[in-house]
Amino acid sequence: MTDNVPGTHWQDADGLHIDTRGLQPPDPFVAVIWHIEQPGQQGPVTVYLDRNPIYLFPELAERGWSYEYALNTADEVHLILRCET
Amino acid sequence: MNIPGSFLGGAQDRLLPASIPFRFFLSASVFHVLAWAVLFLAADDLAGYRGGTGLVLAAIHLATLGVLVMTAIGASYQLLPVVTRRPMARNWPTRLSFWLLLPGICAMTWGMATNALGAMSLGSYLVTLGLFVFAVLTADNLRRTGGIPEVSAHVWLALVALAVFVLIGLLLIRDLETGFLADHQGLALVHMIVASFGFMGLLVLGLSLVLIPMFVLSRSLPARPGWAQAGLSVLALTGFSTGVIFDVPPLQWLALAPGFAAAACYLWLMRMALKTSMRKRLGLPFVLMRASWGLLVLTLVMGALTLTNIGIPNGPALTGFLLVAGWLLTFLTGVLQRIMPFLASMHVADESGLPPLLSDLSAEGPLKIHAVCHLAALAACSFGILLDLTLLVQVGAALGCVGAVAFAGSAGYVATKLKRQASSN
Repeated sequence: MTDNVPGTHWQDADGLHIDTRGLQPPDPFVAVIWHIEQPGQQGPVTVYLDRNPIYLFPELAERGWSYEYALNTADEVHLILRCET
Repeated sequence: MNIPGSFLGGAQDRLLPASIPFRFFLSASVFHVLAWAVLFLAADDLAGYRGGTGLVLAAIHLATLGVLVMTAIGASYQLLPVVTRRPMARNWPTRLSFWLLLPGICAMTWGMATNALGAMSLGSYLVTLGLFVFAVLTADNLRRTGGIPEVSAHVWLALVALAVFVLIGLLLIRDLETGFLADHQGLALVHMIVASFGFMGLLVLGLSLVLIPMFVLSRSLPARPGWAQAGLSVLALTGFSTGVIFDVPPLQWLALAPGFAAAACYLWLMRMALKTSMRKRLGLPFVLMRASWGLLVLTLVMGALTLTNIGIPNGPALTGFLLVAGWLLTFLTGVLQRIMPFLASMHVADESGLPPLLSDLSAEGPLKIHAVCHLAALAACSFGILLDLTLLVQVGAALGCVGAVAFAGSAGYVATKLKRQASSN
């Protein structure tokens, strides 16, 4: 039921993209966790955020996902997530 | 081209050094043990307590200022800059507030326990200064950001309640020396209501709007009921306090309606978060948080029954106990055991450069002991108060003490892990 998932998302040649810009906490957090928990999802997943999601990182580690910054500015952050397990 | 991942990628600029929130949390854990221990010593006086200095007053303030306020301040210092995306202007005032509050709470509660007015006054001035620094830092952080309006509104209102209850507290201590107040007991009741339902309650209601959906992985909650709970809470607090100060019982009665309505809004929002939760297992913290929501309703019902004078034995003491140890302490210990490993993990990285697993930072065994002992302590003390059985209150306080020691052990475990990981990086 992706209608209930906050933000927008699309599939591209380089994997899933999730845009959470403009959402209030905790919606970006919820959107990312929902997508990476879908069966078969291994990444890479590109996430667009307008703040550094520091509460997300322990949850990613708990689920065996790594992240790297594709963009990291004061007003916008892009992350690339990969399943490591 | 990707920038190589660095832990938190600059967000650590907005994170305070871990030692700041953790000094508040560890102190709160020690005050938690002391509060139950002093309650054990005060067991004989608890059921009939209607105010005044002594061990019961000391136990109340060890729990409220020592545990609830220290936890709320530590969490606010850590969470607000991250949520608002504005760092604290400086770190040293946060440390200053701690070094004012810690000796202040010790001196004040010692003075209350031993009826030493000098220590009580000195402690109250230090606590006031510590809370003033906290209020200024929080207001400054909120002022510089948009944030989530309904959450910010709750925090602003909590700061107003803080100013009111501190002012009344100072007047009450002054009155012990000079006896200038016409109705000391009435003002003490307003002080307790504004401090617990006003300051702590509004913080709980407001921060729950973000924290609970984040914990359970649900959508953000609708704004309108959030605004409604804030407005209804203010209405209830103002009405009840005015009714007590001017001795107008019908106003106190009327104030119960918005009080119950605010609680209904809050519980409806919490139910909505749980209903749309994407997390299958919510774990032990939510056993405590769910229990605290039931205890909030029980507190309001007991308060209403006490107002009716229908003969509930020791109604005022039971209502106060359910409010502080029941609703607030149960909720805060639930939140604290959920966020402490979380906050710790944000400050350190393992060999791979990633944060350590949350499960590696939690001490499950002691937390289970705490939950069982805490809930058993609430039941034993409540029936002890109701039946006026000192032995039952003592059993409850002893259980609470064991639970608090276990809780302090788990907090110490997280802090030790944090220190070890930080020093190995």
